[in-house]
Amino acid sequence: MPDLEARRVIELGYGGNERLVMNMGPQHPSAHGVFRMILTLEGETIAAMDSVIGYLHRCHEKLGETLTYAQYPSIASKTDYVAAMTSELTYVMAAERIGKIEVPKRAQHLRVLVAELQRIASHCLWLGTWCLDMGGALGGGATVFLYCFRERELVLDLFEALTGARLLYGFHQVGGVRYDLPEGWAQRCRDTVALIDRRLDEYEDMLESNTPFLIRSQGVGVVSRELAQEVGIAGPLLRGSGVDFDIRRDDPYSSYGDFDFKIPVETAGDCYARYRVRMQEFRESIKIVRQVLDGLPEGPISSKPALKSVGQVRIPKGEAYARVEGPRGEVGCYLIADGGPKPYRMKWRGASFSNLAILPHIVPGHKVADVVAIMGSVDPVFGEVDR
Amino acid sequence: MRDVIAAFILLNAVVLIVTYLTYVERKFAARMQSRIGPYRVGRPHGWLQPIADAIKLLIKEDIIPALADRPVYNLAPIVFLIPSLLIFATIPFAPGLGLADLNIGVLFFLAVSSLEIVGLFMGGWGSNNKYALLSAMRGVNQIISYEVPFVLTALIPVVLAGSLQLSAIVEAQRGLWFVAYPVIGQLAFVAFIIATIASENRVPFDILEAESELVAGFRVEYSGMKFALIQLAEYTHMFGVSCLGTLLFLGGWLGPGSAHPVVGAAWFLLKALFIFLLVTWVRWSFVRIRVDQILGLSWKVLLPATLILLMATGFWVAWRGGYVA
Amino acid sequence: MSRNGAGFWGETWQTARAVAGAMAITLKNLFRKPVTVHYPDVVRPYPDRLRGILALAYDPETGEEACIGCRLCEYVCPPQVIKVEMLKAEKRNYAKTFTLELYACEFCELCVQVCPTDAIIMLKTFDLATSDRREMLLDKDRLHALGQQFQPSWATGTKLRDMQAPPKPAKAEAKE
Repeated sequence: MPDLEARRVIELGYGGNERLVMNMGPQHPSAHGVFRMILTLEGETIAAMDSVIGYLHRCHEKLGETLTYAQYPSIASKTDYVAAMTSELTYVMAAERIGKIEVPKRAQHLRVLVAELQRIASHCLWLGTWCLDMGGALGGGATVFLYCFRERELVLDLFEALTGARLLYGFHQVGGVRYDLPEGWAQRCRDTVALIDRRLDEYEDMLESNTPFLIRSQGVGVVSRELAQEVGIAGPLLRGSGVDFDIRRDDPYSSYGDFDFKIPVETAGDCYARYRVRMQEFRESIKIVRQVLDGLPEGPISSKPALKSVGQVRIPKGEAYARVEGPRGEVGCYLIADGGPKPYRMKWRGASFSNLAILPHIVPGHKVADVVAIMGSVDPVFGEVDR
Repeated sequence: MRDVIAAFILLNAVVLIVTYLTYVERKFAARMQSRIGPYRVGRPHGWLQPIADAIKLLIKEDIIPALADRPVYNLAPIVFLIPSLLIFATIPFAPGLGLADLNIGVLFFLAVSSLEIVGLFMGGWGSNNKYALLSAMRGVNQIISYEVPFVLTALIPVVLAGSLQLSAIVEAQRGLWFVAYPVIGQLAFVAFIIATIASENRVPFDILEAESELVAGFRVEYSGMKFALIQLAEYTHMFGVSCLGTLLFLGGWLGPGSAHPVVGAAWFLLKALFIFLLVTWVRWSFVRIRVDQILGLSWKVLLPATLILLMATGFWVAWRGGYVA
Repeated sequence: MSRNGAGFWGETWQTARAVAGAMAITLKNLFRKPVTVHYPDVVRPYPDRLRGILALAYDPETGEEACIGCRLCEYVCPPQVIKVEMLKAEKRNYAKTFTLELYACEFCELCVQVCPTDAIIMLKTFDLATSDRREMLLDKDRLHALGQQFQPSWATGTKLRDMQAPPKPAKAEAKE
């Protein structure tokens, strides 16, 4: 049982006494962002791990107090910049929950559509960077990286045609969404999704029975079911360890209840299980996108009047916590509103921040080379961790 | 005197070929990844890129870490490079077109190419850097483990041909290339390729330079011309081992019209390029495997397999009643 | 490394097949057309709604400056990069000075959204790279010049507000 002390440095008792303290990061090609890991090594095996974060802190929670409800959604995308749509969605959902604002059906469906497309794009990036870390910048990993980015670029092109921006969208607003679908977008989306479906078969062929890949990911970074539930991780990490929990089904928001999709769950708890969960999530997201496009209702895209001035949106007194199933886990936003145009307090629950807490429990005992495999399968984005 | 001129020409030719091999690899890898590779330097297809890289490395600042072990640090690239160039002395590119066609050619090649490990470890130690030291230790581990299967697979054509002299081995393939021999040839070739990739520190066995973990491994503290020498040494060694593979398994210079030395040399280079591209193709298709898994593969799988293959070859030659010559 | 409990030979065969499969896919990609676009020799077609660099527009009917100096864009901008001074005149107001710090701009399009006269717009280009950051501190003349120089994007204030407003019975035209 892990002891619950503040620093969570777990020392394993090896007989050897030649210990090397090595620093991995914050500038490191595979740290997935700015993340400092202080590893205590015995030969090649890690005896303990300590981590330092905060290199990307940009005072989001303070910004949430100084920017109004109309201005902040554009900034919210910068927390989890890889999955910007889900970050914005969390904030506006929290504001809507306090103000009891109804969102029109079309807007809800559009939110689901972009959230699932964003999940596809984010998982493309995850797969590419994970293989890049495992395979090296000049090796087979780079090949999978470029293939995945080729596919991600297609989704980003779709977003560019929809909102005008490729990475940080500003698509959501309190009461609905800001942009409607342009002409021909629905067909383009269907074609893109069909192409990605075919390419996914290629990736699976390339990786599934690929022996070096399997021996790097099976049995590595095993998270047991009890540990997963105790530490408080979420998302594919949790579902890879056998816990069947997904906010889209268990606490549905934004009309997810109208769609039919499965939640993939694997029990092994190692990197390979998490890989399988995410690959199946790809397919489920494609299914949801197709369902949304088939049954998209007509109607307004926002229930509030269009934004004409900065202080237009006022939320009455109250507080709410909204959570969204992001590609990395549970993204949550806790808002305290006081009746004015700005929140009184805003707190982000970053999915990656909570997920990183699992690292000191599972990394010791592995070799240095496994650290990158584990980090990749945890898939942190440091915008969410440090905010 | 004649030998000195021949050695000079050979040295320059090898360096030039190896420089453009890096270009070929970059283009090949790029096409496999749906992109183009070097394009702008020397339009239209970037064929001046290797020259540009060489000039860039020449004019870079030579940074030496303050606490580095200076003699060891400075000598390491040279010790790493010289064996890679020396192995070309024994390689016959065409009948009569080899610098020194020793009658212990294979032995000389294998012995000298193993000296690279010394240079590698000197680089890792002299850099006074934990990452470099870690990678050098891994490298020594790995290369030593894979030298044994490498030597054993190289011995299979020697047993078949009955001679250590490289031109004699090629002559023995006049009837049928050694790679085409049923089962033994193909398995030996596959084992040779695997051992090559591992002793060259190429993905999937490049744990010692693991860009995403150790950021260039033992080379991490080298910059400028020393780095260029190390890169040159790696690619030269790779090309040298491709040439060895061609001679041992793919029939060297044999091919239509190979009586003429230039045609023979062209066939030889083509086949060496084929092996190089094969290794590159493997490199860009797989993720790397961990160091304990690499060592496990070597000692538990490759070594028994090559031993069995060698014994089988010996039995076959004995049963046949003579060498294939 | 034992899957499905297959014996040594079964596993070796599986490994060999998997290796061949992975290499076959890279070989297939070798013959696919590369996806590289040779920017800046070749420019890819930008979508209509591209949120590019900002510019000030003239009124299409009267040909005058559209900006009335109301400062709504200044207030809505999250990083506060716009600074406007109003110049009062008889028939309508103007902007005396209008500075936009493009190097800090987020390209969020909120200023375009709130502008009552469709004065500030975004263009279908982002190519304003320079080696001196002061060149990206756009003043009013520069903004007007950019508006004439490049093609504007689809979005103007009116169009965006029409797209977002719930349709009233009086509004006959559909979205976009």
